[in-house]
Amino acid sequence: MRTIVDAKKIKKVYGTKGNVFTALDNIDLEVQEGEFVGIMGPSGAGKSTLLNVLATIDQPTSGDINIDGTSIVNMNEEQLAAFRSDKLGFIFQDYNLLDTLTVKENIILPLALAKVDPNELEHRVLEVANKFGISPILDKYPYQISGGQKQRTAVSRAIISKPSLLLADEPTGALDSKSATDLLESLKGLSEVDKATILLVTHDAFAASYCDRVIFIKDGKMFTELVKGKGSRKEFFQKVLDVLSALGGGQSDSI
Amino acid sequence: MTLFNLAKKNVIGNFKSYLLYFISMVFSVVIYYTFVSLQYSPEVQMAIESENSLLNIFIAGSVVLILFVAIFILYSNSFFTKKRKREVGLYSLLGLRKKTIGKMLFYENIIMGGIAIIIGVILGTILSKLFTMIVLRLLDTPVEVSFEVSIEAILNTIIVFMIISLFTSFNAYRLIYRFKLIELFRAEKEGEHAPRTSFIAAITSIILIGFSYWIGFQSPTSDVQLLVNLGLYLISIVVGTYLLFRFLTIYILRQLQKKKTIYYNGTNLVGISQLLYRINGNARTLTIIALLSAVTISAISVGYSFYYTNEKQAEKEAPFSYMHISTSNSVDKHIEKIIQSDTEHSINGQIDIPVISVNGEVSNPILQDYLEDGPIKIVSEKKYNEALKILDRGSNIQLTGNQTIGIQPLLTEYTSIDYEEHTVTLQLPNKELDLAFSSMVEDRIIPWSYPDFTIVVSDQLFSEIATQVTPVTIKTYEVADEKTTKDTTVQLQKLVSEDMQLTTFYNIYRKGLESGGLNLFILGFLGLVFLAATGSIIYFKQLTEAHEDRNRYEILRKIGVSKKEVNATIRKQIIFVFGLPLTIGIIHGIVILQIASNIFSVLIGMNLTIPIVITILAYFIIYLGYYFLTLTSVKNTVNN
Repeated sequence: MRTIVDAKKIKKVYGTKGNVFTALDNIDLEVQEGEFVGIMGPSGAGKSTLLNVLATIDQPTSGDINIDGTSIVNMNEEQLAAFRSDKLGFIFQDYNLLDTLTVKENIILPLALAKVDPNELEHRVLEVANKFGISPILDKYPYQISGGQKQRTAVSRAIISKPSLLLADEPTGALDSKSATDLLESLKGLSEVDKATILLVTHDAFAASYCDRVIFIKDGKMFTELVKGKGSRKEFFQKVLDVLSALGGGQSDSI
Repeated sequence: MTLFNLAKKNVIGNFKSYLLYFISMVFSVVIYYTFVSLQYSPEVQMAIESENSLLNIFIAGSVVLILFVAIFILYSNSFFTKKRKREVGLYSLLGLRKKTIGKMLFYENIIMGGIAIIIGVILGTILSKLFTMIVLRLLDTPVEVSFEVSIEAILNTIIVFMIISLFTSFNAYRLIYRFKLIELFRAEKEGEHAPRTSFIAAITSIILIGFSYWIGFQSPTSDVQLLVNLGLYLISIVVGTYLLFRFLTIYILRQLQKKKTIYYNGTNLVGISQLLYRINGNARTLTIIALLSAVTISAISVGYSFYYTNEKQAEKEAPFSYMHISTSNSVDKHIEKIIQSDTEHSINGQIDIPVISVNGEVSNPILQDYLEDGPIKIVSEKKYNEALKILDRGSNIQLTGNQTIGIQPLLTEYTSIDYEEHTVTLQLPNKELDLAFSSMVEDRIIPWSYPDFTIVVSDQLFSEIATQVTPVTIKTYEVADEKTTKDTTVQLQKLVSEDMQLTTFYNIYRKGLESGGLNLFILGFLGLVFLAATGSIIYFKQLTEAHEDRNRYEILRKIGVSKKEVNATIRKQIIFVFGLPLTIGIIHGIVILQIASNIFSVLIGMNLTIPIVITILAYFIIYLGYYFLTLTSVKNTVNN
């Protein structure tokens, strides 16, 4: 089994002298191929910073990150862009679809940018759209479809280039519970059937319960880790809730 | 806090978003004031001897300017209010009364208008000196320009802009009454959806533009038809251009989308869809820019052509430096003496040309139309050849018997074909004489008078006719450096009487230079204003869009598009937005010029390639400056 993410002693410090804020404090993280890992923690714990650093959108102050065997710490802007389009897929809470493009065009965007042959591209988009049940709306524009459909479009876009690592930042945050469940089921399917490696940042214990493993961070430090093992999703959900209450930040961040 | 204070704080606090509107107002005031103050400046008034025509040109110019400035300010005003609807909605939501908000917007507008007028007048005062120097330079008159403020110009400017400001302020006041609260909040999200296109409309645009070109080239047979044609031309070109931007561009972009190998290739996907998405909102702007470019290019080219061809034109009209009809020996001697005594302009040659005027008819109806009942002027072959030798233009006309050659009348474009195989019948006192044309020559040798119908006959025939009709002698002198013979010309003018019909190259050259120079200046000035305005419109529009597009580029960056690729797609889009209206504008402009050169008789037969190319090049370079400015600003906006 390959190691997809191998991060060691990541530190991220914001601010200058006198007014320093440590967002990430010596975080170590290892994710294997096909793993579905959740990251939880209260607001300001450093979840998003961690994800951004792994996503190469933000640079760590110190530490070393290898993704799929490549160190990303010393890459320049051009290399990072190429790396992102090559190895990473992104899903965001607010979908980040381009409103000037149809659903289909949004999905193929990463492939078009990589100049993949148009025929191959048509083939891949149908394959992915079928998987997520959005083939009937391929020619619609984002403003014409529902939130759930938008998010499935975003997932399709994220996985169409078969990235080594899929990064999801609160993907269910703006969805109703039915759409959220659908989406989580799909992600789980991706991980189990297609051996996709997924890193999911979430507030939501329900969403986290779909993961194989959940990492909790607090104040920029690793707090604890839960592994699902052989138990049911319900049991896992309960465990996550227990850790969360111990952590001091509930489902919605309020006490 | 009083309402006035709130309005004041609004302006100061949001200065950046007000800046665009403010700058366009200042810009408008500056150009208008500059133009008007030129009209009142004593230097310009004095430099021109024909004051009346100057005044008319300036008045016409300022009317065009007022119209333009008003439209420009209203355009930026609507742009500005669109951006502020949300803010206005917020005030309303916070419980301010409609009337209060209206008043506040009114004050705001008035404050800005007032400040814009003050700044504009100050800047305009500085600029008007510069422009006065340009005018005088074009008129070839070296004069020291004094630095003074014209009260009339200031008053004129203040009145015009107070009216415009009041109008926009009143508009601002009504804003809150015109829209429902919910509409104010939706303002910026307004209708930019994937545009539909229609193949028929796309084709219609091409047909209309083609039709406008076709009708432009028709030569109308009557004044009424000219007006009808002009109306049809204007309507079809304006509508055609609009449809072109509104439908044809969309159609072409849609076709590009269908070509998967192009569309699905890298950032083309983003660029093409982005252009499509924007084109609805941009069609009107692009149309205005294309048409303004066309008008500017053709107007400046015409103005420049007049100026540029002035010397050649003057040489055609007054082939010799001085020409007059001989009346008495003593006066002729006196004139000769004066010309000889001007040592700075030595005589290159002089010749007395006897001219016979008789009535007659031409067999070619086209020429007969021109001639009507006017006299035909006859010169001899020997004198014609000698005259052209003095003018340094070789000619060796050999005529025998009843052969004759026509000289091309001034401001016409007849060719040899109109003369060949036709005859002219001269009404001599005791008989009619039929002569056969063998061809036509272009070089004129005697002063112009209407109709300008002169023929050359053999020496023998000339002396035969001269026995029946006494010739008039025209004395001509060709001197060196004839452009600067002002003093001698003035001296001669005092001396001669009306019936001597003194024609001097200097007077004709000078007259052409004055009107040509002023035309060039006014057209150039208006052109520059149009250009600056079109450039600014695109610039601000692109910048606003860039602000709205930041999100999209942010997404692209996140999914792995490099900065370089983002910049490349931005560049392509801006090239499209700049290039398309410019291309259309230049094509329209060239066609308008072809039409104009058929209408303005002075330009007939002149080679206008050089002035046109220079004009287009100058336009292109300034336009290019706007392109780079826009590109840099948009890139900065998107990348930060």
